[in-house]
Amino acid sequence: MSQLSDFSRAPEVPFRFRFVLIRRLPVALSLFAAISLVDAQEESATAVSRQVKEVFEHAAKAVVKIHGVDEHCEISGTGFFIDPTGTLYTAYTVGGEAGNFSIEFDGKQYPARQVLADIRSGMAILKTDVATPALPIGKSEELGVATPVVTIGYPLDLPETPNFGMVAGFDRKYLGRYFSTTHLRVNLPTQRGEAGAPLLNMKGEVVGILVSSLENNSSCYAVPIEAAEKIRGDFVRFGEARHGWIGINVSEAAAPTEGSRARMTQIMDGTPAASSGIKAGDILLQVGRKKVHEPEDVLDASFFITAGDTVPITVIRGNEKLTFNVQAETHPASQHPPLIAAPTMNQAIPLKLDSEAQRTP
Amino acid sequence: MDEFNENEIAKLLRLKRHEQPPPGYFENFLHEFHRRQRDELLCEPLWRILLERAQDFMLRLNVRSLTSYPAAITAVLVCAAVISLKIYQEPGTANVAALQSQPALSTAVNAEGEWTLASPVATRIFRTQPLRNLNESAHTHRAATPPRYVLDSVPVSYEPTFRF
Repeated sequence: MSQLSDFSRAPEVPFRFRFVLIRRLPVALSLFAAISLVDAQEESATAVSRQVKEVFEHAAKAVVKIHGVDEHCEISGTGFFIDPTGTLYTAYTVGGEAGNFSIEFDGKQYPARQVLADIRSGMAILKTDVATPALPIGKSEELGVATPVVTIGYPLDLPETPNFGMVAGFDRKYLGRYFSTTHLRVNLPTQRGEAGAPLLNMKGEVVGILVSSLENNSSCYAVPIEAAEKIRGDFVRFGEARHGWIGINVSEAAAPTEGSRARMTQIMDGTPAASSGIKAGDILLQVGRKKVHEPEDVLDASFFITAGDTVPITVIRGNEKLTFNVQAETHPASQHPPLIAAPTMNQAIPLKLDSEAQRTP
Repeated sequence: MDEFNENEIAKLLRLKRHEQPPPGYFENFLHEFHRRQRDELLCEPLWRILLERAQDFMLRLNVRSLTSYPAAITAVLVCAAVISLKIYQEPGTANVAALQSQPALSTAVNAEGEWTLASPVATRIFRTQPLRNLNESAHTHRAATPPRYVLDSVPVSYEPTFRF
Protein backbone atom coordinates (compact mmCIF):
# COMPACT_ATOMS: atom_id res chain seq x y z
CA MET A 1 0.00 0.00 0.00
CA SER A 2 2.75 2.29 0.83
CA GLN A 3 4.27 1.59 -2.58
CA LEU A 4 0.90 2.24 -4.25
CA SER A 5 0.52 5.50 -2.44
CA ASP A 6 4.01 6.37 -3.57
CA PHE A 7 3.12 5.65 -7.18
CA SER A 8 -0.20 7.47 -7.04
CA ARG A 9 1.48 10.57 -5.80
CA ALA A 10 2.40 12.81 -8.68
CA PRO A 11 6.03 13.71 -8.94
CA GLU A 12 6.52 17.13 -7.57
CA VAL A 13 7.48 19.76 -10.08
CA PRO A 14 9.65 22.48 -8.80
CA PHE A 15 7.80 25.76 -8.43
CA ARG A 16 10.27 27.61 -10.58
CA PHE A 17 9.88 25.12 -13.46
CA ARG A 18 6.09 25.28 -13.24
CA PHE A 19 6.25 29.07 -13.41
CA VAL A 20 8.38 28.95 -16.56
CA LEU A 21 6.08 26.34 -18.11
CA ILE A 22 2.99 28.45 -17.46
CA ARG A 23 4.66 31.50 -18.93
CA ARG A 24 5.92 29.75 -22.07
CA LEU A 25 2.84 27.70 -22.80
CA PRO A 26 0.75 30.52 -24.33
CA VAL A 27 3.70 31.59 -26.44
CA ALA A 28 4.15 28.05 -27.73
CA LEU A 29 0.43 27.69 -28.42
CA SER A 30 0.35 31.01 -30.25
CA LEU A 31 3.33 29.96 -32.33
CA PHE A 32 1.70 26.65 -33.13
CA ALA A 33 -1.55 28.38 -34.10
CA ALA A 34 0.30 30.86 -36.31
CA ILE A 35 2.18 28.08 -38.09
CA SER A 36 -1.07 26.17 -38.59
CA LEU A 37 -2.75 29.27 -39.95
CA VAL A 38 0.05 29.95 -42.41
CA ASP A 39 -0.03 26.32 -43.51
CA ALA A 40 -3.79 26.48 -43.94
CA GLN A 41 -3.52 29.69 -45.97
CA GLU A 42 -0.84 28.18 -48.17
CA GLU A 43 -2.96 25.09 -48.68
CA SER A 44 -5.97 27.25 -49.48
CA ALA A 45 -4.00 29.35 -51.96
CA THR A 46 -2.60 26.23 -53.55
CA ALA A 47 -6.08 24.74 -53.82
CA VAL A 48 -7.45 27.88 -55.51
CA SER A 49 -4.48 28.00 -57.84
CA ARG A 50 -4.99 24.35 -58.70
CA GLN A 51 -8.68 24.91 -59.39
CA VAL A 52 -8.00 27.89 -61.65
CA LYS A 53 -5.36 25.91 -63.48
CA GLU A 54 -7.77 23.01 -64.00
CA VAL A 55 -10.47 25.32 -65.35
CA PHE A 56 -7.95 26.98 -67.64
CA GLU A 57 -6.60 23.69 -68.96
CA HIS A 58 -10.08 22.36 -69.68
CA ALA A 59 -11.56 25.50 -71.18
CA ALA A 60 -8.69 27.20 -72.99
CA LYS A 61 -8.99 25.05 -76.11
CA ALA A 62 -12.53 26.26 -76.71
CA VAL A 63 -11.56 29.94 -76.41
CA VAL A 64 -10.38 31.60 -79.61
CA LYS A 65 -9.02 34.86 -80.84
CA ILE A 66 -11.28 36.62 -83.32
CA HIS A 67 -10.03 38.90 -86.07
CA GLY A 68 -12.32 41.14 -88.06
CA VAL A 69 -12.36 44.32 -90.04
CA ASP A 70 -14.73 47.15 -89.23
CA GLU A 71 -15.16 50.41 -91.08
CA HIS A 72 -12.05 51.86 -89.48
CA CYS A 73 -9.44 49.19 -89.09
CA GLU A 74 -8.71 45.60 -88.17
CA ILE A 75 -10.10 44.54 -84.80
CA SER A 76 -9.18 41.75 -82.43
CA GLY A 77 -11.25 40.20 -79.67
CA THR A 78 -12.10 36.94 -77.96
CA GLY A 79 -14.84 34.35 -78.40
CA PHE A 80 -15.64 30.81 -77.32
CA PHE A 81 -17.27 27.75 -78.82
CA ILE A 82 -20.60 26.67 -77.45
CA ASP A 83 -21.14 23.60 -79.59
CA PRO A 84 -18.95 21.13 -81.45
CA THR A 85 -19.88 22.47 -84.88
CA GLY A 86 -18.02 25.74 -84.57
CA THR A 87 -20.70 28.09 -83.22
CA LEU A 88 -19.18 30.69 -80.98
CA TYR A 89 -20.33 33.50 -78.74
CA THR A 90 -18.60 36.83 -78.54
CA ALA A 91 -19.38 40.41 -77.58
CA TYR A 92 -21.33 42.68 -79.91
CA THR A 93 -18.36 45.06 -79.95
CA VAL A 94 -16.29 42.29 -81.54
CA GLY A 95 -18.72 40.44 -83.79
CA GLY A 96 -21.52 42.96 -84.17
CA GLU A 97 -20.43 45.57 -86.65
CA ALA A 98 -17.32 44.14 -88.24
CA GLY A 99 -16.89 41.70 -91.10
CA ASN A 100 -14.33 39.50 -92.80
CA PHE A 101 -13.97 37.44 -89.64
CA SER A 102 -11.37 34.84 -88.98
CA ILE A 103 -10.53 32.91 -85.84
CA GLU A 104 -7.31 31.50 -84.51
CA PHE A 105 -7.98 27.97 -83.39
CA ASP A 106 -5.62 25.10 -82.75
CA GLY A 107 -2.68 27.01 -84.20
CA LYS A 108 -4.45 27.78 -87.45
CA GLN A 109 -6.60 30.55 -88.78
CA TYR A 110 -10.09 29.76 -90.08
CA PRO A 111 -12.66 31.98 -91.75
CA ALA A 112 -15.81 32.71 -89.76
CA ARG A 113 -19.09 34.43 -90.52
CA GLN A 114 -21.56 36.36 -88.47
CA VAL A 115 -24.74 34.46 -87.73
CA LEU A 116 -26.47 36.96 -85.48
CA ALA A 117 -25.69 40.18 -83.67
CA ASP A 118 -27.92 41.61 -80.99
CA ILE A 119 -27.07 45.06 -79.75
CA ARG A 120 -29.68 44.97 -76.99
CA SER A 121 -28.00 42.08 -75.21
CA GLY A 122 -24.50 43.09 -76.35
CA MET A 123 -23.60 39.72 -77.82
CA ALA A 124 -23.00 38.22 -81.24
CA ILE A 125 -22.87 34.71 -82.64
CA LEU A 126 -20.27 33.68 -85.20
CA LYS A 127 -19.81 30.37 -86.96
CA THR A 128 -16.89 28.56 -88.47
CA ASP A 129 -17.19 25.29 -90.34
CA VAL A 130 -14.86 23.11 -88.38
CA ALA A 131 -15.25 20.58 -85.60
CA THR A 132 -14.47 22.24 -82.31
CA PRO A 133 -14.52 21.67 -78.58
CA ALA A 134 -17.31 23.44 -76.71
CA LEU A 135 -17.72 24.96 -73.28
CA PRO A 136 -20.58 23.70 -71.12
CA ILE A 137 -23.27 26.26 -70.31
CA GLY A 138 -23.77 27.02 -66.62
CA LYS A 139 -26.25 29.13 -64.67
CA SER A 140 -25.41 32.66 -63.65
CA GLU A 141 -28.39 32.52 -61.26
CA GLU A 142 -26.33 30.23 -59.05
CA LEU A 143 -23.66 32.88 -58.59
CA GLY A 144 -23.58 35.12 -55.57
CA VAL A 145 -21.53 38.08 -54.51
CA ALA A 146 -17.94 36.96 -53.83
CA THR A 147 -18.33 33.78 -55.84
CA PRO A 148 -14.96 33.06 -57.49
CA VAL A 149 -14.90 33.11 -61.29
CA VAL A 150 -12.33 32.71 -64.04
CA THR A 151 -12.10 34.21 -67.47
CA ILE A 152 -9.87 33.30 -70.40
CA GLY A 153 -9.12 35.92 -73.00
CA TYR A 154 -6.65 37.11 -75.58
CA PRO A 155 -5.32 40.46 -74.37
CA LEU A 156 -3.57 42.54 -77.02
CA ASP A 157 -1.44 40.26 -79.18
CA LEU A 158 -0.69 37.89 -76.32
CA PRO A 159 -1.67 34.22 -76.07
CA GLU A 160 -4.68 32.95 -74.11
CA THR A 161 -4.55 34.29 -70.59
CA PRO A 162 -6.49 33.24 -67.50
CA ASN A 163 -7.80 35.78 -65.03
CA PHE A 164 -9.18 35.03 -61.63
CA GLY A 165 -11.61 37.18 -59.66
CA MET A 166 -14.94 37.22 -57.97
CA VAL A 167 -18.45 38.40 -58.60
CA ALA A 168 -18.75 41.91 -57.18
CA GLY A 169 -22.40 42.57 -57.87
CA PHE A 170 -25.46 42.23 -60.04
CA ASP A 171 -26.09 45.62 -61.59
CA ARG A 172 -29.02 46.94 -63.53
CA LYS A 173 -27.59 50.37 -64.12
CA TYR A 174 -24.21 51.97 -64.57
CA LEU A 175 -23.54 55.70 -64.36
CA GLY A 176 -27.25 56.40 -64.16
CA ARG A 177 -28.27 54.40 -67.24
CA TYR A 178 -30.09 51.11 -67.20
CA PHE A 179 -28.93 47.90 -68.84
CA SER A 180 -31.31 45.79 -70.87
CA THR A 181 -30.94 43.05 -68.29
CA THR A 182 -28.99 42.53 -65.09
CA HIS A 183 -25.25 42.45 -65.76
CA LEU A 184 -22.64 40.66 -63.68
CA ARG A 185 -20.01 43.02 -62.30
CA VAL A 186 -16.83 41.03 -61.81
CA ASN A 187 -13.72 42.12 -59.98
CA LEU A 188 -11.04 40.71 -62.18
CA PRO A 189 -8.44 42.58 -64.21
CA THR A 190 -9.14 42.89 -67.91
CA GLN A 191 -7.23 44.20 -70.87
CA ARG A 192 -8.08 45.29 -74.39
CA GLY A 193 -8.77 42.35 -76.64
CA GLU A 194 -10.68 40.39 -74.03
CA ALA A 195 -14.16 41.51 -75.07
CA GLY A 196 -16.21 38.39 -75.75
CA ALA A 197 -14.24 36.21 -73.36
CA PRO A 198 -16.19 33.59 -71.40
CA LEU A 199 -16.83 34.09 -67.71
CA LEU A 200 -16.49 30.67 -66.12
CA ASN A 201 -17.47 29.32 -62.74
CA MET A 202 -15.07 27.05 -60.91
CA LYS A 203 -16.66 24.03 -62.58
CA GLY A 204 -15.56 25.38 -65.94
CA GLU A 205 -19.11 26.25 -67.07
CA VAL A 206 -19.84 29.48 -68.90
CA VAL A 207 -21.90 31.86 -66.81
CA GLY A 208 -21.37 35.08 -68.75
CA ILE A 209 -19.73 36.91 -71.64
CA LEU A 210 -17.35 39.81 -71.00
CA VAL A 211 -18.73 42.89 -72.71
CA SER A 212 -17.08 45.93 -71.16
CA SER A 213 -14.53 47.04 -68.65
CA LEU A 214 -14.86 49.47 -65.80
CA GLU A 215 -12.44 52.19 -64.84
CA ASN A 216 -8.76 51.26 -64.87
CA ASN A 217 -9.65 47.84 -66.27
CA SER A 218 -9.70 46.51 -62.74
CA SER A 219 -13.13 45.01 -63.18
CA CYS A 220 -15.63 44.34 -65.92
CA TYR A 221 -19.22 43.68 -66.86
CA ALA A 222 -20.47 40.40 -68.23
CA VAL A 223 -23.79 39.61 -69.85
CA PRO A 224 -25.32 36.62 -68.05
CA ILE A 225 -25.25 33.49 -70.18
CA GLU A 226 -29.03 33.13 -69.86
CA ALA A 227 -29.41 36.34 -71.90
CA ALA A 228 -27.17 34.94 -74.64
CA GLU A 229 -29.03 31.65 -74.59
CA LYS A 230 -32.33 33.49 -74.90
CA ILE A 231 -31.08 35.18 -78.05
CA ARG A 232 -29.77 31.90 -79.43
CA GLY A 233 -33.11 30.27 -78.63
CA ASP A 234 -34.89 33.01 -80.57
CA PHE A 235 -32.60 32.43 -83.49
CA VAL A 236 -33.20 28.72 -83.48
CA ARG A 237 -36.96 29.25 -83.39
CA PHE A 238 -37.37 32.23 -85.68
CA GLY A 239 -34.06 32.90 -87.40
CA GLU A 240 -33.67 36.20 -85.57
CA ALA A 241 -33.58 37.76 -82.13
CA ARG A 242 -37.17 38.53 -81.16
CA HIS A 243 -37.40 40.87 -78.23
CA GLY A 244 -40.93 41.04 -76.95
CA TRP A 245 -43.05 44.04 -76.07
CA ILE A 246 -46.32 44.51 -74.21
CA GLY A 247 -46.60 48.30 -74.20
CA ILE A 248 -46.65 49.33 -70.55
CA ASN A 249 -44.70 52.05 -68.75
CA VAL A 250 -43.90 51.44 -65.11
CA SER A 251 -42.81 53.80 -62.36
CA GLU A 252 -42.29 53.64 -58.63
CA ALA A 253 -45.35 53.75 -56.40
CA ALA A 254 -45.32 55.73 -53.17
CA ALA A 255 -46.09 52.67 -51.05
CA PRO A 256 -45.74 48.97 -51.75
CA THR A 257 -48.79 46.86 -52.46
CA GLU A 258 -48.47 43.11 -51.96
CA GLY A 259 -44.71 43.69 -51.85
CA SER A 260 -44.53 45.52 -55.17
CA ARG A 261 -43.76 49.19 -55.87
CA ALA A 262 -44.11 48.82 -59.66
CA ARG A 263 -47.12 50.89 -60.69
CA MET A 264 -48.26 50.98 -64.28
CA THR A 265 -48.38 54.59 -65.36
CA GLN A 266 -49.18 54.33 -69.04
CA ILE A 267 -50.77 51.77 -71.32
CA MET A 268 -49.62 52.65 -74.80
CA ASP A 269 -52.10 52.84 -77.65
CA GLY A 270 -51.88 50.23 -80.35
CA THR A 271 -49.92 47.80 -78.20
CA PRO A 272 -50.95 44.38 -76.91
CA ALA A 273 -51.49 45.89 -73.45
CA ALA A 274 -54.11 48.32 -74.75
CA SER A 275 -56.51 45.56 -75.67
CA SER A 276 -55.64 43.25 -72.80
CA GLY A 277 -57.70 44.91 -70.08
CA ILE A 278 -54.69 46.11 -68.07
CA LYS A 279 -55.19 49.67 -66.80
CA ALA A 280 -52.94 52.48 -65.71
CA GLY A 281 -52.69 52.46 -61.94
CA ASP A 282 -52.55 48.70 -61.62
CA ILE A 283 -49.70 47.40 -59.50
CA LEU A 284 -47.54 44.89 -61.34
CA LEU A 285 -46.86 41.71 -59.39
CA GLN A 286 -45.54 39.22 -61.93
CA VAL A 287 -44.52 38.97 -65.59
CA GLY A 288 -44.31 35.38 -66.75
CA ARG A 289 -42.37 33.55 -64.06
CA LYS A 290 -40.58 36.69 -62.92
CA LYS A 291 -41.93 38.29 -59.76
CA VAL A 292 -41.79 42.07 -59.65
CA HIS A 293 -41.03 44.06 -56.52
CA GLU A 294 -39.45 47.23 -57.90
CA PRO A 295 -39.79 48.98 -61.25
CA GLU A 296 -36.23 47.84 -62.05
CA ASP A 297 -37.42 44.24 -61.99
CA VAL A 298 -39.25 45.02 -65.22
CA LEU A 299 -35.89 45.11 -67.06
CA ASP A 300 -35.20 41.40 -66.63
CA ALA A 301 -38.84 40.50 -67.12
CA SER A 302 -38.93 42.50 -70.33
CA PHE A 303 -35.68 41.14 -71.72
CA PHE A 304 -36.82 37.54 -71.56
CA ILE A 305 -40.14 38.16 -73.30
CA THR A 306 -40.18 36.76 -76.82
CA ALA A 307 -42.33 38.39 -79.46
CA GLY A 308 -45.19 36.09 -80.40
CA ASP A 309 -45.32 34.30 -77.08
CA THR A 310 -48.23 34.69 -74.68
CA VAL A 311 -47.12 36.19 -71.38
CA PRO A 312 -49.22 35.94 -68.23
CA ILE A 313 -49.16 39.28 -66.39
CA THR A 314 -50.42 39.41 -62.83
CA VAL A 315 -51.51 42.75 -61.36
CA ILE A 316 -53.40 43.96 -58.35
CA ARG A 317 -56.21 46.44 -58.84
CA GLY A 318 -57.69 47.68 -55.62
CA ASN A 319 -57.97 44.50 -53.59
CA GLU A 320 -58.37 42.25 -56.57
CA LYS A 321 -55.55 40.19 -58.06
CA LEU A 322 -55.92 39.74 -61.81
CA THR A 323 -53.97 37.77 -64.39
CA PHE A 324 -54.00 38.73 -68.08
CA ASN A 325 -52.58 36.63 -70.86
CA VAL A 326 -51.06 38.99 -73.37
CA GLN A 327 -49.44 38.06 -76.66
CA ALA A 328 -46.19 40.01 -76.97
CA GLU A 329 -45.29 41.96 -80.08
CA THR A 330 -41.88 42.84 -81.43
CA HIS A 331 -40.04 45.34 -79.25
CA PRO A 332 -39.73 48.80 -80.81
CA ALA A 333 -35.95 48.52 -80.57
CA SER A 334 -36.09 45.44 -82.81
CA GLN A 335 -38.46 46.80 -85.42
CA HIS A 336 -35.69 47.70 -87.82
CA PRO A 337 -34.56 44.95 -90.22
CA PRO A 338 -33.26 41.99 -88.25
CA LEU A 339 -29.62 42.03 -87.36
CA ILE A 340 -28.88 38.82 -89.14
CA ALA A 341 -25.99 38.36 -91.45
CA ALA A 342 -25.57 35.53 -93.90
CA PRO A 343 -27.97 32.66 -93.29
CA THR A 344 -31.66 32.78 -94.01
CA MET A 345 -34.32 31.55 -91.65
CA ASN A 346 -33.72 28.12 -90.20
CA GLN A 347 -30.31 27.86 -91.80
CA ALA A 348 -28.73 28.15 -88.56
CA ILE A 349 -26.95 26.99 -85.60
CA PRO A 350 -27.34 23.34 -84.89
CA LEU A 351 -29.30 22.90 -81.72
CA LYS A 352 -27.40 21.95 -78.67
CA LEU A 353 -29.56 19.20 -77.37
CA ASP A 354 -28.87 19.66 -73.70
CA SER A 355 -29.84 23.34 -73.62
CA GLU A 356 -33.41 24.30 -74.26
CA ALA A 357 -34.36 27.51 -75.94
CA GLN A 358 -35.52 30.14 -73.45
CA ARG A 359 -39.07 31.15 -73.96
CA THR A 360 -40.91 33.49 -71.71
CA PRO A 361 -39.72 34.16 -68.19
CA MET B 1 69.47 88.46 -94.09
CA ASP B 2 72.99 87.23 -93.49
CA GLU B 3 72.90 85.02 -96.54
CA PHE B 4 71.51 87.72 -98.85
CA ASN B 5 73.27 90.97 -98.59
CA GLU B 6 72.07 94.04 -100.34
CA ASN B 7 74.25 93.42 -103.39
CA GLU B 8 72.85 89.99 -103.99
CA ILE B 9 69.28 91.23 -103.63
CA ALA B 10 69.93 94.03 -106.07
CA LYS B 11 71.44 91.52 -108.52
CA LEU B 12 68.36 89.25 -108.24
CA LEU B 13 65.99 92.14 -108.81
CA ARG B 14 67.86 93.18 -111.84
CA LEU B 15 67.72 89.68 -113.24
CA LYS B 16 63.99 89.29 -112.54
CA ARG B 17 63.21 92.69 -113.99
CA HIS B 18 63.66 91.34 -117.44
CA GLU B 19 61.63 88.17 -116.94
CA GLN B 20 58.25 88.12 -118.69
CA PRO B 21 55.43 85.52 -118.44
CA PRO B 22 54.62 83.61 -121.61
CA PRO B 23 52.05 85.12 -123.99
CA GLY B 24 48.39 84.64 -122.89
CA TYR B 25 49.43 83.95 -119.30
CA PHE B 26 47.20 86.58 -117.77
CA GLU B 27 44.26 85.70 -120.03
CA ASN B 28 44.36 82.08 -118.89
CA PHE B 29 45.19 82.86 -115.28
CA LEU B 30 41.61 82.63 -113.93
CA HIS B 31 40.81 79.49 -115.88
CA GLU B 32 44.04 77.87 -114.69
CA PHE B 33 43.28 78.84 -111.11
CA HIS B 34 39.85 77.19 -111.22
CA ARG B 35 41.25 74.08 -112.84
CA ARG B 36 43.82 73.63 -110.12
CA GLN B 37 41.20 74.29 -107.49
CA ARG B 38 38.99 71.55 -108.93
CA ASP B 39 41.92 69.16 -109.05
CA GLU B 40 42.56 69.76 -105.39
CA LEU B 41 38.89 69.19 -104.59
CA LEU B 42 38.81 65.90 -106.43
CA CYS B 43 41.66 64.67 -104.33
CA GLU B 44 39.64 65.25 -101.13
CA PRO B 45 37.13 62.67 -99.77
CA LEU B 46 33.49 63.14 -100.71
CA TRP B 47 32.23 63.75 -97.18
CA ARG B 48 34.60 66.63 -96.73
CA ILE B 49 33.50 68.19 -99.98
CA LEU B 50 29.83 67.87 -98.96
CA LEU B 51 30.56 69.30 -95.56
CA GLU B 52 32.32 72.29 -97.05
CA ARG B 53 29.48 72.82 -99.50
CA ALA B 54 26.94 72.65 -96.72
CA GLN B 55 28.90 75.09 -94.60
CA ASP B 56 29.17 77.40 -97.54
CA PHE B 57 25.44 77.10 -98.23
CA MET B 58 24.50 77.78 -94.62
CA LEU B 59 26.77 80.78 -94.48
CA ARG B 60 25.22 82.19 -97.59
CA LEU B 61 21.71 81.75 -96.15
CA ASN B 62 22.63 83.57 -92.97
CA VAL B 63 22.22 80.53 -90.74
CA ARG B 64 21.58 82.50 -87.54
CA SER B 65 18.14 83.49 -88.79
CA LEU B 66 17.33 79.81 -89.41
CA THR B 67 18.23 78.58 -85.96
CA SER B 68 15.01 79.88 -84.42
CA TYR B 69 12.66 77.49 -82.58
CA PRO B 70 9.82 77.39 -85.15
CA ALA B 71 12.27 76.69 -87.94
CA ALA B 72 13.75 73.79 -85.99
CA ILE B 73 10.30 72.37 -85.24
CA THR B 74 9.32 72.63 -88.88
CA ALA B 75 12.47 70.83 -89.94
CA VAL B 76 11.83 68.03 -87.42
CA LEU B 77 8.21 67.65 -88.56
CA VAL B 78 9.21 67.46 -92.19
CA CYS B 79 11.79 64.79 -91.40
CA ALA B 80 9.24 62.82 -89.34
CA ALA B 81 6.68 63.00 -92.12
CA VAL B 82 9.18 61.77 -94.69
CA ILE B 83 10.32 58.92 -92.46
CA SER B 84 6.79 57.83 -91.56
CA LEU B 85 5.76 57.86 -95.20
CA LYS B 86 8.66 55.57 -95.95
CA ILE B 87 7.73 53.24 -93.09
CA TYR B 88 4.04 52.95 -94.01
CA GLN B 89 4.65 52.43 -97.68
CA GLU B 90 6.94 49.46 -97.39
CA PRO B 91 4.69 46.98 -95.45
CA GLY B 92 1.76 47.84 -97.71
CA THR B 93 3.67 46.54 -100.64
CA ALA B 94 4.51 43.41 -98.70
CA ASN B 95 0.84 42.80 -97.87
CA VAL B 96 -0.21 43.03 -101.47
CA ALA B 97 2.40 40.50 -102.36
CA ALA B 98 1.25 38.23 -99.55
CA LEU B 99 -2.39 38.44 -100.58
CA GLN B 100 -1.59 37.67 -104.16
CA SER B 101 0.33 34.62 -103.13
CA GLN B 102 -2.47 33.24 -100.93
CA PRO B 103 -4.80 30.69 -102.44
CA ALA B 104 -8.60 31.09 -102.35
CA LEU B 105 -8.95 30.09 -98.78
CA SER B 106 -12.42 30.57 -97.44
CA THR B 107 -14.31 28.98 -100.28
CA ALA B 108 -15.65 25.47 -100.04
CA VAL B 109 -13.58 22.85 -101.78
CA ASN B 110 -16.61 21.33 -103.42
CA ALA B 111 -17.83 23.63 -106.19
CA GLU B 112 -21.42 22.53 -105.62
CA GLY B 113 -21.21 23.53 -102.02
CA GLU B 114 -20.99 27.23 -102.77
CA TRP B 115 -22.94 29.39 -100.39
CA THR B 116 -26.32 30.36 -101.77
CA LEU B 117 -29.33 31.48 -99.86
CA ALA B 118 -31.49 29.04 -101.77
CA SER B 119 -29.59 25.92 -100.94
CA PRO B 120 -30.65 24.20 -97.73
CA VAL B 121 -27.96 24.15 -95.14
CA ALA B 122 -28.27 20.46 -94.46
CA THR B 123 -27.16 19.44 -97.94
CA ARG B 124 -24.03 21.51 -97.99
CA ILE B 125 -20.87 19.91 -96.79
CA PHE B 126 -18.17 22.33 -95.79
CA ARG B 127 -14.58 21.40 -95.83
CA THR B 128 -13.08 24.59 -94.58
CA GLN B 129 -9.41 25.05 -95.15
CA PRO B 130 -7.42 27.03 -92.64
CA LEU B 131 -6.44 30.45 -93.85
CA ARG B 132 -2.88 29.82 -92.83
CA ASN B 133 -0.84 27.99 -90.31
CA LEU B 134 0.00 30.52 -87.65
CA ASN B 135 3.29 28.88 -86.91
CA GLU B 136 4.44 29.47 -90.46
CA SER B 137 3.93 33.05 -91.33
CA ALA B 138 1.44 34.82 -89.15
CA HIS B 139 3.84 37.49 -88.08
CA THR B 140 5.26 38.21 -91.50
CA HIS B 141 1.80 38.70 -93.01
CA ARG B 142 0.51 40.99 -90.28
CA ALA B 143 -0.26 44.55 -91.20
CA ALA B 144 2.02 47.29 -90.04
CA THR B 145 -0.62 48.99 -87.93
CA PRO B 146 -1.73 46.89 -84.96
CA PRO B 147 -5.42 45.95 -84.80
CA ARG B 148 -7.82 47.59 -82.40
CA TYR B 149 -8.00 45.29 -79.41
CA VAL B 150 -11.61 45.43 -78.31
CA LEU B 151 -12.83 45.98 -74.80
CA ASP B 152 -15.01 49.04 -74.50
CA SER B 153 -15.43 50.93 -71.28
CA VAL B 154 -19.21 51.23 -71.64
CA PRO B 155 -21.88 48.71 -72.62
CA VAL B 156 -23.26 49.05 -76.14
CA SER B 157 -26.91 49.64 -75.28
CA TYR B 158 -29.13 50.95 -72.54
CA GLU B 159 -32.84 50.87 -71.84
CA PRO B 160 -34.61 54.21 -72.08
CA THR B 161 -37.22 53.68 -69.35
CA PHE B 162 -38.96 51.01 -67.31
CA ARG B 163 -41.25 49.75 -70.00
CA PHE B 164 -42.02 46.37 -71.36
